[in-house]
Amino acid sequence: MTLIHPLQNTLTSRDGSLVFAIVKNSILSFKYQSSNQWEFVGKWTDDFDKAQDIKKNVTKEQQRQISENDTKNKKLKSNKGDSIIKTEAKIPAPGIGAPPIYSYIRNLQLTPDESKLIACADSDKSVLIFTVDRASKTNVLKLSKRFSFPKRPNAISIAEDAATVIVADKFGDVYSIDMNSSPEDKFTQEPILGHVSMLTDVCMVKDSEDHQLIITSDRDEHIRISYYPQCYIVDKWLFGHKHFVSSICCDKDHVLLSAGGDNEIFAWDWKTGENLSTFDYSDLIKPYLNDQHLAPSRFQNEENDIIEFCVSKIAKINNLPFVAFFVEATKCIIILEISGKEKGKLSLKQIIDLPYNIISLSAQNDEFQITLDNQKSPQVQSSFAKFIQYNSNDDKFVINDEKSNLFDEVITKSLQEDSNLNAEEDDIYPLYNIASLRKHGEHYS
Amino acid sequence: RAHSNPFSDHQLEYPVSPQDMDWSKLYPHYKDAETGQMTKKVTIADIGCGFGGLMIDLSPAFPETLILGMEIRVQVTNYVEDRIIALRNNTLSRHGFQNINVLRGNAMKFLPNFFEKGQLSKMFFCFPDPHFKQRKHKARIITNTLLSEYASVLKEGGIVYTITDVKDLHEWMVKHLEEHPLFERLSTEWENSDKCVKIMRNATEEGKKVERKKGDKFVACFRRLPTPTIL
Repeated sequence: MTLIHPLQNTLTSRDGSLVFAIVKNSILSFKYQSSNQWEFVGKWTDDFDKAQDIKKNVTKEQQRQISENDTKNKKLKSNKGDSIIKTEAKIPAPGIGAPPIYSYIRNLQLTPDESKLIACADSDKSVLIFTVDRASKTNVLKLSKRFSFPKRPNAISIAEDAATVIVADKFGDVYSIDMNSSPEDKFTQEPILGHVSMLTDVCMVKDSEDHQLIITSDRDEHIRISYYPQCYIVDKWLFGHKHFVSSICCDKDHVLLSAGGDNEIFAWDWKTGENLSTFDYSDLIKPYLNDQHLAPSRFQNEENDIIEFCVSKIAKINNLPFVAFFVEATKCIIILEISGKEKGKLSLKQIIDLPYNIISLSAQNDEFQITLDNQKSPQVQSSFAKFIQYNSNDDKFVINDEKSNLFDEVITKSLQEDSNLNAEEDDIYPLYNIASLRKHGEHYS
Repeated sequence: RAHSNPFSDHQLEYPVSPQDMDWSKLYPHYKDAETGQMTKKVTIADIGCGFGGLMIDLSPAFPETLILGMEIRVQVTNYVEDRIIALRNNTLSRHGFQNINVLRGNAMKFLPNFFEKGQLSKMFFCFPDPHFKQRKHKARIITNTLLSEYASVLKEGGIVYTITDVKDLHEWMVKHLEEHPLFERLSTEWENSDKCVKIMRNATEEGKKVERKKGDKFVACFRRLPTPTIL
């Protein structure tokens, strides 16, 4: 059965009137009016042709080899002894059984004045800068720049000047780019800092003395704090995680929250380096675990009962002392309260059950936005996303059903005919890729 | 095995933080019997210590200093362990070689797990893997991003020692250390007057091999500069 591909991520503007959603290699824009009206206002699709890119590289390499052979005065000869004249380079194509290539879009981020949207494209490992035209009815996003990197960008953050994007890649390096500069043909930049490990998240903060700092988290349990722009000065490490860190987020008063492969959520004072508290969620999540949480077969025991779970994302709403997170491939979000009296103390606020597995979580104002893996929904596809709002009257979070249902409607209406955004079950992009970050120390020497 | 990939997920043991490290197993002689605390901290590190020749010569030269060798290759680490046990047993009466030991680890990833900020006074990088290929340069032990970590565990005024027989690698290390705002190169005069440089030139197994083959040995030493004012 063909269905509309689940939304991989969303981002809402501060006033809530614009919602961007990632589906495959497209970013969709929706306008939301408080009168509960949704409007589809544009789609941008990454049509970067990878084959062209490969062709460029292959041709370049061929040229290099030819000139190298020329300088060495080497003539290529066939077995018979005739000289070979190189024809146009062949472009390697993936063979049968090769893993499929997905051209993800990831990491949506708006600049502070919300005039630009930053995203990352896997296709050419680039950071995309869009201008946001709120007035447009058909095309809110316009691609203005495309900065491509040698390794895949995995997380981005924006510096205080609102013009510098901090890019953390999968190889462990962090680069800074000026949004106003133009992308160069040849990549010559040096990283401003680096880990020898995959970077999973990055966050820019400012201390009381007005110094800017970069917080980076990696797959080797590390959270590192470095000064910016003097990134060569390491301020400190936050030690405590025993497994990978997948997501970090900041709160006021130097509070940092981090989560990943551990059974606990960590709260830190990044200024003093103190671990303020940890919140063990393993008992809370047990009822929600399923076969998807069994360890991969090569790390499994004979009883087949090793269970592994991890936090995919943790997000804080501004202005309110609540932070939400979800465990990969589960049907609930867990909301914690950050104590004001006892700094950084975490306690359970609420667990909200959902009809399907959660894929993404983001936060804006008094609202958490989540997207769901709704492949299994009945005939009429629904539950693409849920908007979970804080109700101050009864001090609880509730799913705004009306808003969520109407959002489902606008998605169904605007995307149903769009064959690019529809998918068979086999074409669904991998939606669960955090658990694979867990290290099992397979290499002995 | 001659090589080990520093990027793979090895079966490694390392403390969650420097405070969690139990050094008394490596240096039992320096454990205070009454308090159970260590009387000294490691201040000299030999990164990629290989067969341990440097440490063994440094040990009597710095009898009051704890010296740690870090090596990523399992077999080599086991060999150095055995070697140190033998040396300790042979000199039991005078407590020889109690100030050196080795551990298996990936310094490129986990150095900050072992050492506090400013803990080290000397770091040695002797005959590191040259990683000739351009695309393998990140696997080199000296890169501008790793130097910030080394600077962080070194105290101000601490010294980085490098030696290699590969000219290209020497130039690479010098370039990156000179470009790094927290390091300054020391003069040839300084090198010639320093006892560690002398030991480093002659002590390591790699150094002796180069000697036999009459190869060149390139030395460069750098001082950790004071951390500048934060902007």
